[in-house]
Amino acid sequence: MRRYVIRRLIGIIPVMLGVIFVTMLTIELIPGDPVAMMLGENARPEQEAALREHLGLDQPLPVRYVKYVADVATGDLGRSIQTNRPVLDEIRDVWPNTLVLAVAAMALAIVAGVVVGVISAVRPYGVIDSIARVLALIGLSMPIFWLGLVMLYVFAYYFRLFPVGGTGSWKHYVLPAVALATPSIGILSRMTRSSLLDVMGEDFIRTARAKGLRGASIITRHALRNAMIPVMSVVGLQFGQLLGGAVLTETIFSWPGLGRLTVRGVFARDFVLVQGAVLTFAMAFVLINLLIDLSYAYIDPRIHYD
Amino acid sequence: MHISTRESITTEPRALGLATKPRSPAGDVARRFVRNRLALAGLFIVVLLAIMAIAAPVIAPKDPAASTLADARARPSREYLLGADELGRDILSRIIYGSRVALLVAVLAVGAATLVGGGIGLIAGFAGGWIDEVLMRLMDILLAFPYLLLAIAIVSALGSGVEKTTIAVAIWAVPNFARVVRGQVLTLKERDYVLAARALGARTPRLLLVHITPNIIAPIIVFASLYMANAILLEAALSFLGLGVQPPQASWGLMVASGRDFLRVDPHVTTFPGIAIMITVLGFNLLGDGLRDAMDPRLRNRF
Amino acid sequence: MEDRTTIPAGGELSRRRLLQMLGGGVLALSALGLLAACGDDDDDDDADDTGGDAGGGTQDATPTPAADDDDDDDATDEPDDADDDADDDAQPGGTLVIGRPSDAVALDPHDETTSPGNWVMSNIYETLVVLTQDSEFVPGLAESWEQIDDSTWEFKLREGVTFHDGTPLTAEAVKFSIDRIKDPDNPGRSASNLAPITEVVAVDDLTVHVITDGPYGPLLNIMSLIYATGIVSPAAVEEFGADFGRNPVGTGPFRFVEWRSNDVITIERNDDYWGEKALLDQAHYRVIPEESARMLALETGEIDMVMFPAPSQLEIFRQNDDFEIAEVEGVRVFFFGFNVERPIVSDVRVRRAINHAVNRQEIVDSLLEGAGTVPTSYISPAVFGFKDISDSWAYDLDLANSLLEEAGWVDEDGDGIREKDGQRLELRHLAPRGRYLKDAEIAEAFQAAMLEIGIQINLEILEWATLFEQVRQPNIDADLFTLGWSTATGDADYSLWPLFGTDFVPPNGWNSHQYSNPEFDDLAARAQASTDPDERLELYGQMQDILAEDAVWVPIYNSKEIIIHADYVDGFRIHPIDYYLWLHTVSVDKD
Repeated sequence: MRRYVIRRLIGIIPVMLGVIFVTMLTIELIPGDPVAMMLGENARPEQEAALREHLGLDQPLPVRYVKYVADVATGDLGRSIQTNRPVLDEIRDVWPNTLVLAVAAMALAIVAGVVVGVISAVRPYGVIDSIARVLALIGLSMPIFWLGLVMLYVFAYYFRLFPVGGTGSWKHYVLPAVALATPSIGILSRMTRSSLLDVMGEDFIRTARAKGLRGASIITRHALRNAMIPVMSVVGLQFGQLLGGAVLTETIFSWPGLGRLTVRGVFARDFVLVQGAVLTFAMAFVLINLLIDLSYAYIDPRIHYD
Repeated sequence: MHISTRESITTEPRALGLATKPRSPAGDVARRFVRNRLALAGLFIVVLLAIMAIAAPVIAPKDPAASTLADARARPSREYLLGADELGRDILSRIIYGSRVALLVAVLAVGAATLVGGGIGLIAGFAGGWIDEVLMRLMDILLAFPYLLLAIAIVSALGSGVEKTTIAVAIWAVPNFARVVRGQVLTLKERDYVLAARALGARTPRLLLVHITPNIIAPIIVFASLYMANAILLEAALSFLGLGVQPPQASWGLMVASGRDFLRVDPHVTTFPGIAIMITVLGFNLLGDGLRDAMDPRLRNRF
Repeated sequence: MEDRTTIPAGGELSRRRLLQMLGGGVLALSALGLLAACGDDDDDDDADDTGGDAGGGTQDATPTPAADDDDDDDATDEPDDADDDADDDAQPGGTLVIGRPSDAVALDPHDETTSPGNWVMSNIYETLVVLTQDSEFVPGLAESWEQIDDSTWEFKLREGVTFHDGTPLTAEAVKFSIDRIKDPDNPGRSASNLAPITEVVAVDDLTVHVITDGPYGPLLNIMSLIYATGIVSPAAVEEFGADFGRNPVGTGPFRFVEWRSNDVITIERNDDYWGEKALLDQAHYRVIPEESARMLALETGEIDMVMFPAPSQLEIFRQNDDFEIAEVEGVRVFFFGFNVERPIVSDVRVRRAINHAVNRQEIVDSLLEGAGTVPTSYISPAVFGFKDISDSWAYDLDLANSLLEEAGWVDEDGDGIREKDGQRLELRHLAPRGRYLKDAEIAEAFQAAMLEIGIQINLEILEWATLFEQVRQPNIDADLFTLGWSTATGDADYSLWPLFGTDFVPPNGWNSHQYSNPEFDDLAARAQASTDPDERLELYGQMQDILAEDAVWVPIYNSKEIIIHADYVDGFRIHPIDYYLWLHTVSVDKD
């Protein structure tokens, strides 16, 4: 197991290299020039050329790639083309916001989703199950910006319970976290329900019942563990993606996170910034998935890695 | 998710000692499905969607592209049954025509992703070892890649329009499918019946085809229905950023996104297409749930 | 059949280990996050002048308002009445909270030309000359100026002005500020605005000579452009180097306090200001990207003033006594440009016909809801050189149709689209979405309107960077493209020549229309070189007449700068040029 973990950790490096390469290549290929974007209406050819040279953008792609990788290895993520500020600083400013929001949303989603899923699975097709399923489905079928806006109107404006946006107090977290969590609650509750039902249909469960074990104990000690694998997959994916920022939620609630930063970078073709953001996200994402994969092994001991 | 330690459904009820008549597996599934009201509702919605998409020119009261600026954001009335959008176009007609985009993107994109992503996950999970490593790392790279950038790249390289959006959405779904399917396969791989089949000398293709694949179809279906929902929502975001359909084509996502500026004064502009999205997504999900439930006879046993 | 009565609690990974690892993982990530946020203040040079809080440019994981603030997020707090102003006639200052859609790029004229940055910079920095809301030049940092010969202007600086860091304003500083933008190795973003200036000479401590390449009429406009000639403190630039953009030091009525990225920028009154002190204690510039959220924040009082309000809600706020709407015709014209070298639209009759078939009033009323006005020229009335040429595009469908017929375009096969010599009247139109107010919607409305006269528009909504790239290509592959051009200097020279001059066809400039007219070029050159306002007016008038004749554009609307603020915000005057947001006369009185 330890070897596996180490192998996976080392395996992060090629992923990172690959991600950087694909990012640089993609930005190279798509139309749009960061220098021109930056200068806007004030762009003139001589000025562009000077700026391009100053930023080292006139070098061919392979040269830039190698230089960038070397810089990253020393902790230098370069300077944002838009703001001329170290990318590390730009990301440092926003990533904690994204992390905290992601954790809050995910925690909420896991608790609510699993609980609802378990309730549904215990009495399938009952009234509670149907209501819960439909509610969960409604939650994940709403466009999130629509949901967010409605929440703003109702809770921030109408009831004045929470601020409209920005950061500053715990109250600022509530609405964005709930909005972010809602689709995940829907997904997780369905996944839990479906998975739990599968597991509960297995022979070993019947045997446990035959031995006289009670319902609740069966669920928690036997069924739930097995049921969690597909759920964990989804949790991993969701959390990982949340760590990259949630641009729509961040926009609606004026949350200064990684999502908005990255999108802004993409639209400005600020590839230095985008690369830095991608690296951050990729790193976090890969780590999370490693943890999830390892959790498979815990949950279902039949799975082993070596 | 699995069916049983046996290979087929028909033997199962007999093992439980229940009286049975010989039935075909498909018939079983269909029968169970039909008894599930929510599943039927889902099917109904999806069929309705398909009908709307096909019969759009016939059903739609007005030309979805016909714009009368003077009627901008008109409230629902006899002339505009669901009101008009900010360019004075009939919302109902645009919703009807928008079903084409929704269906196209959802079904095609997810369908393609299922095949590709599911296939990758199947191979990775089953083969294990370095094949698994390489494939999953490739998927990781794809997942770690900023999706928006990918979408812009696709659209700039291939141009915009609904087909390109479909590709962009499909690419989003592939790595997700791969991961999830792989997870399932990892579990199944170690089940007794698989080990038994192996011990009996079954070769890999047979193992994959006969033993494993049927047992992962159900979660794939559930995921597919989930992703069809997400696909529609993703199309909304892309269309809004100018990476989706081109005017004057109607897309629900675009309608919701551009109508949201008027939520305060004329909420109908964004709400009706939003409801259309919700109902459609609900339909796909109920259908998916229903299929899954119908395929698993274990549910017949209530505790 | 398998028999599993219990699942072993172990397996390869015991519960404890797993939880430890999961916990460790989450902790590690959080620690990374916290570490990144709180630590390393030594590394980034974000310490601000007032030596205030640990905030600087970074963000706490558990954000708290900065130490010397009123509570930034609760705008219903009492204003800081206890503040002792040096000027005892001033009303209590208070804090003004402004909501805007995006954040500044940098607070340094070298790196910032966008509005969100300029709104802050216009209070931190100053220029030698100021262009007022009434389009007049008044003294800024320069007390007086004089053109001493064809190519030389002399500016006399005020005495006793100091930068926020205490260093004095000298002619050297002015030279430094302008030179650093023009630095050929590292040009600033507005370097092209300063191209006509060849040299700046510090004659003595308080006298500056600005030398141009031949006579240059609009020099004062350039000298008033905050993002080109805002004067920065050389000492501070020396100290902060590349981080100056996060630690701006100027001479203005406000000084910089703090910048939380993508969240809020804080400035406070400069009590050592050379002129009349500002009234406000502080101003907070918040980022609220979503339009609806901005409007809600205004209503709940979380912000006091909103930039880019929602046109659809203007009426609501007009009727609400708790708010005031500040509006003025702006300097941006939103238009569709023709590539006049493309086969179909090279015929001026087609271009004129299209112009006559657009009902601009309806667009302004229905889509913009009054957040813009019908255009009366290719530049705004507020711009020096303006002449009304709107007759040349009066809404007249009959005229449009007859022009097309005259040009030989007739609908032969009855499908609603005209043809000529077997070719359909189809035009390719490139437009952005969300770059300008209602840009995509207007393009769609235009598409529908053209159908009425038998023209099929193949509309492509492009993402901005992609469109921008297209527009910069020689001979753009489209018949029509959408842009909005803002005359930032307030002088016609900034717009007319670069947009339509032969020398400026891409890649050399912005004449994506491929328009070339020697007579026009000649007039433009003469108008730029002349320093006689009357002569220049006359010349620009002629240039606009030519443009109207040749129908190079389909002008759609003239921008309107609209800012909504609470009624307890006093003393605000909106500026037609959207880069300026002057706060030194503003006070917040919530009593």
